[in-house]
Amino acid sequence: MNKLRLLTALWVIGFFVISCTDDGPEIPLGELEQGVLIVNEGAFGANDGEVFHYDPASGDVKANIFESKNGRPFAGLIQDLVEAEGRTYLVANTGKVEVVDPKDFASLGAVDSDLNISRSIAVANQKLYISDYGPYDANFNSPNSYVAVVNGLNGGTVAKKIPVASRPEELIVAGNFLYVACAAAKKLQVISLATDAVTSSQDVEGTPSKLRIIDGRLYLFARDAGNIYFHEINRNNFNIQTTIKIPLANATSNFAMGDGGDVFVITSSGWPDYNDAVAKVSLNTAQIVNPSLFTGSGFYGIGFHAENKVIYIGDNNGWQGNGTILIINGAGQQIKKLDAGRGPSGFIFK
Amino acid sequence: MEEDFISPVFYFENEVKSPLKSFAESDTVQLPEVEVFTAPLDKYTFGQRVQTINERDLESFQGLAFAEYLQQRTGLFLRQYGPGMLASLTMRGTSAGHNAVFWNGLPINSPSLGQADFSILPVGGFDQAVVHFGSSGALYGTDAIGGAIHLNNKLRFGEGHQAQVSTLAGSFGRWNQQVQYGFSNYKFATRSRFYRNFFQNDFPFRNLSKIGTPMERQQNSRVEQWGIMQDLAWNLNSKNQISSSIWWNTTDRQIQPVIGSNTNDTQQDQNLRWVLDYFHFEKNKTWNAKAGLVRDELIFNVGSINQTTQYFLSGDLDWEMHPKWNSKSGLRYTYIVGNLSTYEATDSRLELYQSTNFQPNEKLSFSMNLRQLVYEGNWAPFTPSLGAEWKIWRNKVHFIQLKAAFARSFKVPTLNDRFWEPGGNPDLESERSWSGEIGLKHVFAKNKFQFEQQITHYRMSVDNWIIWLPNGSFWSPQNIRKVNNSGLEYFLDITQQLGLWEMGLSGNYAWNLAINQTNISENDRSKGKQLPYTPEHKIQSMFSVEKGVFSSFLNTQWVGERFVATDNASKLDPYQLWDVGANYRWSLGKKISGNLGAQINNLFNTEYQILRLRAMPGRNYQFNLNIIL
Repeated sequence: MNKLRLLTALWVIGFFVISCTDDGPEIPLGELEQGVLIVNEGAFGANDGEVFHYDPASGDVKANIFESKNGRPFAGLIQDLVEAEGRTYLVANTGKVEVVDPKDFASLGAVDSDLNISRSIAVANQKLYISDYGPYDANFNSPNSYVAVVNGLNGGTVAKKIPVASRPEELIVAGNFLYVACAAAKKLQVISLATDAVTSSQDVEGTPSKLRIIDGRLYLFARDAGNIYFHEINRNNFNIQTTIKIPLANATSNFAMGDGGDVFVITSSGWPDYNDAVAKVSLNTAQIVNPSLFTGSGFYGIGFHAENKVIYIGDNNGWQGNGTILIINGAGQQIKKLDAGRGPSGFIFK
Repeated sequence: MEEDFISPVFYFENEVKSPLKSFAESDTVQLPEVEVFTAPLDKYTFGQRVQTINERDLESFQGLAFAEYLQQRTGLFLRQYGPGMLASLTMRGTSAGHNAVFWNGLPINSPSLGQADFSILPVGGFDQAVVHFGSSGALYGTDAIGGAIHLNNKLRFGEGHQAQVSTLAGSFGRWNQQVQYGFSNYKFATRSRFYRNFFQNDFPFRNLSKIGTPMERQQNSRVEQWGIMQDLAWNLNSKNQISSSIWWNTTDRQIQPVIGSNTNDTQQDQNLRWVLDYFHFEKNKTWNAKAGLVRDELIFNVGSINQTTQYFLSGDLDWEMHPKWNSKSGLRYTYIVGNLSTYEATDSRLELYQSTNFQPNEKLSFSMNLRQLVYEGNWAPFTPSLGAEWKIWRNKVHFIQLKAAFARSFKVPTLNDRFWEPGGNPDLESERSWSGEIGLKHVFAKNKFQFEQQITHYRMSVDNWIIWLPNGSFWSPQNIRKVNNSGLEYFLDITQQLGLWEMGLSGNYAWNLAINQTNISENDRSKGKQLPYTPEHKIQSMFSVEKGVFSSFLNTQWVGERFVATDNASKLDPYQLWDVGANYRWSLGKKISGNLGAQINNLFNTEYQILRLRAMPGRNYQFNLNIIL
């Protein structure tokens, strides 16, 4: 009987130990580590970019989480928000990167000198790689674009600038290489992380802007007036091995990956009707599923909440004031509307 | 319009002068100095307030932007993008383009931008400024929806030779100089002026965009400016006078970046203004023919050029038909050529106007103004206005007057609105407004004490308000907004003489509600909200003491919260600034005189932003010296 008690106790303790070992120490998630982060780019010349937090469960929106925590305005235009190495990187195209704690957005550091028009960031080998247009020339071209290298995950000074083709946008680390989408040059460039130098450069069809790994494959997103392209990159020779070309006209560079190879892309008709829409296309069939799943004007950012199967659309409200988030379901019906900050441009779903 | 009445203690805020006539009628008698004739600006303005800012008021602002004077010393609010940077005026809660600005009677708002930048109108480029509060499109033409500002030169006959050297030095590398030489007899007057204003503008500011918000020196904000002015006047005979002024001003600026940005933008402005007036005087009649040219060139970052030239030709007859009736009839033709990086355009405008004053008795005065403008075959809204003043009560020490005015005004769409490539919208209509106001003026004067106050309540509705909205890949303007404005203006002026001491207290309070009536889209949250960067409240007050050659002042302005955008989601804190200064008038013998002044601005080193993330300087000092030979 005593043995049984002992065994039972051991079994219970063992179970407890195993379950603890499995789950790791139980630290409750911070408020900002759940729900949705809304990136508001801010208006040109106003530097009023900010991040909002939305809790879909309670419906609460918390505004200006950077300024609320740090007691100073972000004072920049947020071009990109990237989470890596337990940190959140806020890239301002006004020439800085702020590093904050994902838990509460407390400032951890920054890169706030020696950048010009920073666009995006990638982290590898304890280094930050920041794509930057470089200074404009007299005709507002960007012939001196670069990827800035900073040694240290919490920012600091720029240690090196790797010259790249004109107007680098997103970058992504895959293997020991950094892939860079150079929009104005219409090139894909690859930087070796071993040497921090460009090792490959090639022309691509369309204006490239984003890089995504979808089902283990590395894709470069590009677009032109009549089509969007998902160029699949061969990671061995850096060549484009296949291209999914979808005849979607007037696409912007804002898109969100849905389920089952579906992609939601914001389109804008421009003159004379100025109609914006969310189009649904399929990577599997290279077809447009629905050119106008949802229509309106002022569409800016887009995101797909995989858990709830809903699409978040940022409406800039003509830049006259703050924007609005529209939440629609897969059938294109609006189910909710939220107040956001200036120019809502992207979403991070936790 | 302020009017003279019996008590000699009362000063005339705006005297209606016709000096040449008095000169002509008595040209064998001893002659006083007489001003070159200019058409009185306030003659057909019964029912509204017109305030004059004199040379002496402007003395300690030598070479500074006129924006600084208006911001510090009036109840008007200017949206200033930093010291020495773009400063646009808002009157009665309207936008920057909703006030007309004149230089010697020529409209100088940029026809492409539709507004004036008060940071490149330096004090020294004119002698006197007149502020007309309230809607006055019928009197002045396009843009005068919230009010009008007149900048005038005051040349005088019969002064002999006169030379003047002025200099102003201040903190953060401010260094302004002006030299002037003039000669006049009773037949002929000339005056030449040259100035150079330099401002390194590297004031310390708190860099809010960086960790720890360190104090840093402002970068890329230097302002260099210089200009020449020439005035001429010639009395052909007792009935005919010709006068002309030319002003060339160039400003070379680095554009102070918004906090958090590291831009190195530059802007060069060159402004050439020339006016020629011919006056012919008859008994009870004054004929005026006017020609003018205003050429503005703005080059942003070398590549972006905005050049416009306006040619003016106008003529009018001001006629005292009867002791109770005055009339002014005229027409103005304007031809505008726009040469911009993105488009080229011309615009011709013809406008007819008629102003009438009727004063049936001592107590009642009426003004009626009518104007019709046609541009490129488009009829701008017909603009009538009616104003009245009623002297309700008067005794030996008190005077109470009731004022009322009702006016329609308009703004022709700017060249950029109509022709900008891409996005310009040639189908835009004129913006238009209705406004009404009622005011009470009270003057109390006894012995050496004078107290004057005036309160005005206005209501206004501006429709067809043009805003630029993003349309696909570019922006395009539309007649979309409607705004209801209402508010209160209060003016106070007290002076007391105590022996050799003279004390003064002046105050301005402006309460402006500018409520947006339209949402531009389904999700817009602007309706029912105050327009951005339009403070509901501004208070300004100045206390001054003068004894003989010494004078000093303490000045303050308090500006209420300003919303950053149309949805009023974020706002800037109110701020209050104090300035203190002293002045000493001196003379050396009979030939040399002048004044020496010192001033501390932002006495308490207040950190403030007029516009969000636009750094402003802390405590700073300035000294000015004028020498008159």
